[in-house]
Amino acid sequence: MDTITSINKSEIKEKAPLRPIKSLTDMCMACGTCSAGCPLTGIEGFDPRKIVRMVLFGMDKELIESKLPWLCTMCGKCEYACPMGINIANLIRTARGMVERENVPGMIHKGVELGLKTGNNIGLPKEDFIFIIEDVGEELAGEPGFSDFKIPFDKKGANLLHTLHNKLVNTQNEDLIHWWKIFHIAKEDWTIPSQNWEGVNWGLFSGDDEAMKCFVGRIVENMEKLEITNLMYPE
Amino acid sequence: MATRYGLQKWYPDFFDRFGALTVFDLLMEYIKSGRIKLDKSKITQRVAYHDPCNYGRKSEELFGHGFYEEPRWILDQCVSDWVDLYPSKGNQYCCGGGGGTLLTPYREERLYYGRRKIEQIKRTGAEMVVVPCHSCHGQIKAALEDNGMSDIPVKYLWEIVADILIVD
Repeated sequence: MDTITSINKSEIKEKAPLRPIKSLTDMCMACGTCSAGCPLTGIEGFDPRKIVRMVLFGMDKELIESKLPWLCTMCGKCEYACPMGINIANLIRTARGMVERENVPGMIHKGVELGLKTGNNIGLPKEDFIFIIEDVGEELAGEPGFSDFKIPFDKKGANLLHTLHNKLVNTQNEDLIHWWKIFHIAKEDWTIPSQNWEGVNWGLFSGDDEAMKCFVGRIVENMEKLEITNLMYPE
Repeated sequence: MATRYGLQKWYPDFFDRFGALTVFDLLMEYIKSGRIKLDKSKITQRVAYHDPCNYGRKSEELFGHGFYEEPRWILDQCVSDWVDLYPSKGNQYCCGGGGGTLLTPYREERLYYGRRKIEQIKRTGAEMVVVPCHSCHGQIKAALEDNGMSDIPVKYLWEIVADILIVD
């Protein structure tokens, strides 16, 4: 006999993975603790309790077509406070993943697409990437104590793989050097991959598991190909 | 966080074959082993520390460990006068830049969301904010500017370490 878990059918509810502690969205008591804790409650009609209600009422379509899932920062304060342990942020992420890709607002999916195609979310060609990184590296070499600093691209057998956040490569070059300075003084044996150097994974934000897996897989590939000992988590 | 989560989910054998280190692991190893030395006297301002959701609540949920003590130990090595925002750690407020919101067109909503973070920062009297997260960095910087507080710099945790490195 099938167990009836809910009166209304919601694909979001079925797909959203459960947290390690056993809990079901159906167990929501509508107490509103989530809404009280959420910094977004009241902004543009956002309210986590309302979102759980929408899911429980089977209002997938209304949720997916609204901008609510994209206003949430998935900070998890709602589920941290929830007495029933309901995975509210995962409901949001699952709803995001069910939005037609061309309707994903802003840069999130565009970045994922570019990343899948080129190896980084800003679609920067390899030679331009190397030019920017070497240019910033040469600047650092001009500072006292760093005269022998060089960017170690694709160094086989290095201890540490260092990936980069695309915004540092794109517009915030001045923030590239902090780790490089530390590595240099610590005499770290590190390397930057010249291909698939992207450190962030926007599949997490767009609710796209397939893309997310692909980006993680590329880091594994670089670790294998370059025979690296340790990965430095990008963030 | 995304990479670690993805490795655990899709490439669990990764951890048998390779090591993996967080930014905190690395900084703590370098400092504890003496591979880097720091000049703590260089930072004289009051510094406020913001806990990112991903290193706190999210890591607690996904990996069974929230990174609360590690950044605070590192701050102790770098800054004489640093303060927590209130509330902090597991009960902190998101800066408003998480979940990819920095990449959406909803800038106004996101900055309004950040008002609580600004109030928290104001209350501490801090002259600098330190974060270990790229999204928090971008959002807090924008929210401070939006509130006429751009005289308060936002720095990465590893940036203040790099700023006070003793270079022979």
